[in-house]
Amino acid sequence: MTVFKAYLKILNKNKFLVILYTVILIFFAGFNMQNNDTGTSFMAEKPDVLIVNENETDNVTKNFIQYIEKHTTIKEVQETEEARNDALFYRDVNYIIYIPKDFKNSFLEGKKLNVEIKSTGDYQASLAEMLVNRYFNVANIYRNVIKDEETLLEMINTTLEKEVFIEVTSKLDIEKFAKATLFYNFANYSILAGCVFIICFMVSSFKEQKVKLRIMVSSIEYKKFNRQLLFSNSLFAIVLWLCYVILSIILVGDVMFTNQGMFLILNSFIFTISALTLALLIGNLVHNKEAMSGIVNVIALGSSFLCGAFVPTEFLPDFVLKIAHVLPSYYYIHNNDLIASLETINLETVKPIFLNMGILLFFGFMFVVMTNIITKKRNR
Amino acid sequence: MLFHNYKYAMKTLFKNKPLIFWTFAFPLILGTLFSMAFSDIEKEEQLKTIPIAIVKETSNQNSMIINIFEHLKTGEEPMFQISYEDEKDAKTLLENKKIDGYLILSEPLKLIVKENGINQTILKFVTEEIIQTEEVMRNVVALEIEDKNMLTENLYQSVYLKLEKWKEENQIELVNISNKNLSYTMIEFYTLIAMTCLYGGILGLYLINQNLANQSANGKRISVSPTLKGKVIITNALAGYTVQLIGIALLFFYTICFLKIDYGENIFFIVLLTLIGCFAGLSLGIMIASVFKTNENTKTGIVIAFTMLCCFLSGMMGITMKYMVDKNIPILNQINPASMITDGFYSLYYYDTLDRYYFNIFSLCIFSILMLALSIRSLRRQTYDSI
Repeated sequence: MTVFKAYLKILNKNKFLVILYTVILIFFAGFNMQNNDTGTSFMAEKPDVLIVNENETDNVTKNFIQYIEKHTTIKEVQETEEARNDALFYRDVNYIIYIPKDFKNSFLEGKKLNVEIKSTGDYQASLAEMLVNRYFNVANIYRNVIKDEETLLEMINTTLEKEVFIEVTSKLDIEKFAKATLFYNFANYSILAGCVFIICFMVSSFKEQKVKLRIMVSSIEYKKFNRQLLFSNSLFAIVLWLCYVILSIILVGDVMFTNQGMFLILNSFIFTISALTLALLIGNLVHNKEAMSGIVNVIALGSSFLCGAFVPTEFLPDFVLKIAHVLPSYYYIHNNDLIASLETINLETVKPIFLNMGILLFFGFMFVVMTNIITKKRNR
Repeated sequence: MLFHNYKYAMKTLFKNKPLIFWTFAFPLILGTLFSMAFSDIEKEEQLKTIPIAIVKETSNQNSMIINIFEHLKTGEEPMFQISYEDEKDAKTLLENKKIDGYLILSEPLKLIVKENGINQTILKFVTEEIIQTEEVMRNVVALEIEDKNMLTENLYQSVYLKLEKWKEENQIELVNISNKNLSYTMIEFYTLIAMTCLYGGILGLYLINQNLANQSANGKRISVSPTLKGKVIITNALAGYTVQLIGIALLFFYTICFLKIDYGENIFFIVLLTLIGCFAGLSLGIMIASVFKTNENTKTGIVIAFTMLCCFLSGMMGITMKYMVDKNIPILNQINPASMITDGFYSLYYYDTLDRYYFNIFSLCIFSILMLALSIRSLRRQTYDSI
C-alpha cells in the first residue's frame, strides 16, 4: 500500500499535466472521428463531384446536372476558385466539372465544345470521368438522330436508366462498423501515448536517485515493488481505457453494444494491458524526464504510422507491414479490422481474433519479465 | 560580452542530450516514418486491374459482351482480369475474396458482388455501359427504320458504322485544367516542418529557465550578477534560434535529398517561411517559460502538448483534418501557428499566386510578436527581495 499511496500523491502533485495530456488525447480521438466522413472514406461508392455551372440553367444543362447528381455525391464549397482548389487538393471533391457558357447551343448544334474539368486522378475521379464520358457519348449519338430537344433528353434518360441486376452476398453492413473501427484504430495512438507518457512520468519519480536508494534499503522485494507499481499504474490505465470506451459509446452509439462492438472493447482492454506493461518497461529503462517525451512520441507515433492507426493497413506497403509485426499495435489494429469484417461468430471466425489477443498478452508478459530483469540488475 | 554569452548558451544547449534529440533526431525519425507509411497511399488510389469472373450460363452466349470484356482485359494497364468459371467456382472465388464480383450471362444479365466498393461500382458501371450501348443501338435502328420506313440490307452493320463515326466525331472534349501538384501526402511533411519549428520552443524554454532565479541554480547566479538581464536573454534566444535553424536545415536536407519532398520552387520564400516559423516556435517557448509559474517538466509538457495539438489540427495525424478545420472552424487554424506554417508551404506548392503565403507570413509575425509581448510583460522588472 505504501507504493500505492506514494503513487497517488505524485499523481495528485502532477494532476495538471496528467489531465492536460489525457484531455488532449481524448480530444484527438473524438475530433478525428467527427471528421471521418471525408477523412478516410476510401471506399465510397459515389465519387464526390463539384459542378460549376457558368451557364443559364436550361433543360439540356439541367438534364446533365441531374444525371451527375444521381450517380455521384454533389459537394458544395464556397464559390471561389481557391475554395474549389482546396477542396480538390484535400480530396473533399474528386472531380470538378465546369459547364461552359452556351453549353446547350453548342451541344445541340454539334459545335466543338470544351468542358473543363479538374481531377484528383484517383479511382473515384476516374469513375466520375467515366460517368461524364458515358453521358456525352450517349447524348452525342442521339443528337445525330433526334432533333426535338424534349424527345432527345427523354431518350438519353431512358437509356442511361438501364441498370444491371446486382446481388450483394454479404449481409454485413461494413459502413456501420467503419466508424467504430476508425475510432478504435485511432485509440491505438491515444492509449499508447497516454499510458506511456503518464506512466513513465510516474515511474521516473520513483527512480529519482534519493527515492531509489531509500527503496533499495527498505525491506520490500523488487518484484513486490514492481507488482505494486504495476497495480497502481493499471488503475490509471483502466480509467484512461474507460474514458475511451465511454467516448466510443457516445460517438458511435448502439454499434458498441453489438457482438462486434464488445469485441472491439475487449480488444482495446487487452491492448491497454500491453501498453501499460510497455510503459512500465520504458519507465524503468529511461529515467530522464525530458528524454521521455521524445521516446513516448517516437513509440506512439511510430507504431501508429507503421501499424495502420492513421493510414488504413491496405494502403501500407508490404515491407512496412512486415516490420510492424514486431509491434503490439499491429496485432491490436489487425484485430480491429478482423472484428469489423466478422460476419458470423463461431469458433472458426473468432479463432484469429483470440490468437491476436493472446499475442498481445504475450507481449505484456514479456514486458513484465524484462522490467523485472532490469530492476534486478540495476538494484545490484 | 554578447559573444561570450552566446558561445556559452550554445555550449549548454549542445550538452543537453534530450534537447538535441528533440531538435535533430526526432523530426528525422518522424519524417522517415511518414515516408514509409505514405509511400504507397497515392499509388494505391489509382485505378487497378479488377479481378472478376464470367459465368456462361447457356450454350448460346452473348458474344458481344464477352468481346467487350475481352477487349477490356488487354492493354498495358487492363481494367479487368477475367476468368471463366461455373457458378459454383465463381461463388467460392468471391467468398475467398479472389475476385471482386462475377457476371452471369443470363437474360437479363446478373452481377454478383460480396460487398459495396469502388471496384464493384466500376464493374457495375461497365456492365451497364454494355447494356446501354445495346439499347442505343436498338433505338437508333428503330429510328432509322421509322425514318426510311423500310428495312435496308445490313441495317445493323450500317448503324454500327454510323455509331462509330459519331463517336469519333464527338465534339465534346474534356479538358483537364487541374494543377499538377496534387500530392496531398506532402501536407504530412509540411506539418513535420511546422512541428520542428514549434518544438524549437523547448530550446527557448530551457534557456529562459536558465535565467529564472526560481527555476535553476544558474538563474540565481545570473540574477545576482551585474549583467543586464535583457542582454543575457537576447543572446540566449539567439543561441536557441541558431541551434533550431541548424536542426531544421538538417531536416530540409534529409527530406529533400532522401525522401524527395517537393517544397515548391522558390527557395527564397521557403527560407523566409522557415525563418519566421522557427522564430514563432522560439517565441512560443519563451512565452510558456516566462508566463507559467511551474516547474520545468510541466512547462516542457505544455510545449509538447500544445505543439501536438496544433500539429493534429494542421493535419499531422490525418491529412484532411486541416481542411475540415479550415472549412468548419476557420478561426481555430487562423490562430494555430502549425497551421500557418503548413498552409504557407501548401500555398507555395499548390498555388501560383503568393497572397495566401503572405497572409500566413503576416499571421506568424503577429503570433510571434504577441508571444514576445506576453513574455516581456511577465519578465520585466522581475526582482527578488532579500529575505
